[in-house]
Amino acid sequence: MTDELNSLDPYVRELVGEARRPVVVDPSARHRLMEAIRLEPAPRRRSRVLDWLLEPRHSSLSPVASMALAAGLVGIGILGGLAIHRDGRLSTEQAPPVGVGNPHLPDSGTARAIRFVLIAPQAARVSVVGDFNDWDPSANPMSAQREPGSSGVWSVYVPLQPGLHTYSFVVDGTHFVPDPAAPIAPDDGYGHRSSVVIVRGSSL
Amino acid sequence: MSALSLRRVAWSASLVALPVVVGAQDSVVPNRGIDPLSRLNESTRYSIELLFDSAKVAGLPTWPLESKALEGITKRADGRRIVAAVRLVFRSLREARSALGPGATNDELTAAAGALSVGITTDELARLVKSRHEKQLTYPLVVLSDLITRGVPRDTASQTIFQLWQRGASDDDFQGLWRGVERDIVSGTDPGVALLNRAREIPSRGPPTAPPASGARPERSENPNP
Repeated sequence: MTDELNSLDPYVRELVGEARRPVVVDPSARHRLMEAIRLEPAPRRRSRVLDWLLEPRHSSLSPVASMALAAGLVGIGILGGLAIHRDGRLSTEQAPPVGVGNPHLPDSGTARAIRFVLIAPQAARVSVVGDFNDWDPSANPMSAQREPGSSGVWSVYVPLQPGLHTYSFVVDGTHFVPDPAAPIAPDDGYGHRSSVVIVRGSSL
Repeated sequence: MSALSLRRVAWSASLVALPVVVGAQDSVVPNRGIDPLSRLNESTRYSIELLFDSAKVAGLPTWPLESKALEGITKRADGRRIVAAVRLVFRSLREARSALGPGATNDELTAAAGALSVGITTDELARLVKSRHEKQLTYPLVVLSDLITRGVPRDTASQTIFQLWQRGASDDDFQGLWRGVERDIVSGTDPGVALLNRAREIPSRGPPTAPPASGARPERSENPNP
């Protein structure tokens, strides 16, 4: 073996010697290599659902179905617009004007849809009464939300004229409850607390 | 997706969304076909109608009185109590008119009547009017009444609201003040301390303008916070 090596060209012999020299590896090299691999972001694989969604395909829709779809989307958009919470309200949510008058108040501007909300998980029925509906419990019944996680949330939109209004919630027809999210009205003279909402408008 | 499935989606969306949108527009106009006061007995009704007449003579709005009577009917109060409550509203409105002057709006009168019922004096109301700066008094008076009802000492509440009013605080300032104090009180802070702390956060909006010489002003001013 040594003889064969000696018989080789010196340049080749040097190459062979270099190749046979034991490699000295830095003890921390493995750790650094693994660290570098960890830092490398994993390649992202498109999910089968995404592939299915992105796959082009043909579909056909009748004019009636198209109109129904458009109406549904517009309805959802309007509903979403009404449900947006806005700042600039004293208590309840004030949506854009809807143009319904109140015979009790001066005609001082356009009515606004006000959203009244009460959390009452144990209630069977809730309504809002106030100077805007002659304190009639049957005028504005509130609806319980059915979405998961929002059970017991009762709400209703009521168009109100700009100005000061006093109101209360009626729970199960007998309990008068003030709005926890609104200023308290002074003593009502009947042993209950009511609430106050100020609807902003052109005159206030 | 097949055409049939798309049709199903379209019909479902329209059926779900449209009734909800329609339902959001509940009508508030009460049924005025039947006289709501007809539910009162004759004696109670007579007493209340006398108060209505008195209010008209004094140039006061009658709807707050009628509303108070209807509130009593809904809350199943007896006739004597309803008359007492309506009479109290009438007196408060009359005092409020006297303090605020003839230029006060109905909302200001109602708010001032509420403030009087929680212990604010007519002198304090008049002081607010004197330093008015073409803004409605409704917001500060509603907040003032609420604060006192929530336990803020009367004098602390009155002085703080007056100072903020003098410094030109806006409706938004008063609204923010109310929200902050209410939150602090719920968190356990002393009501008076909560008010003073929150009031310090409101910057001065400029020196108060001189009150009008006559004390009178338009029936309804423009919205100060459009």
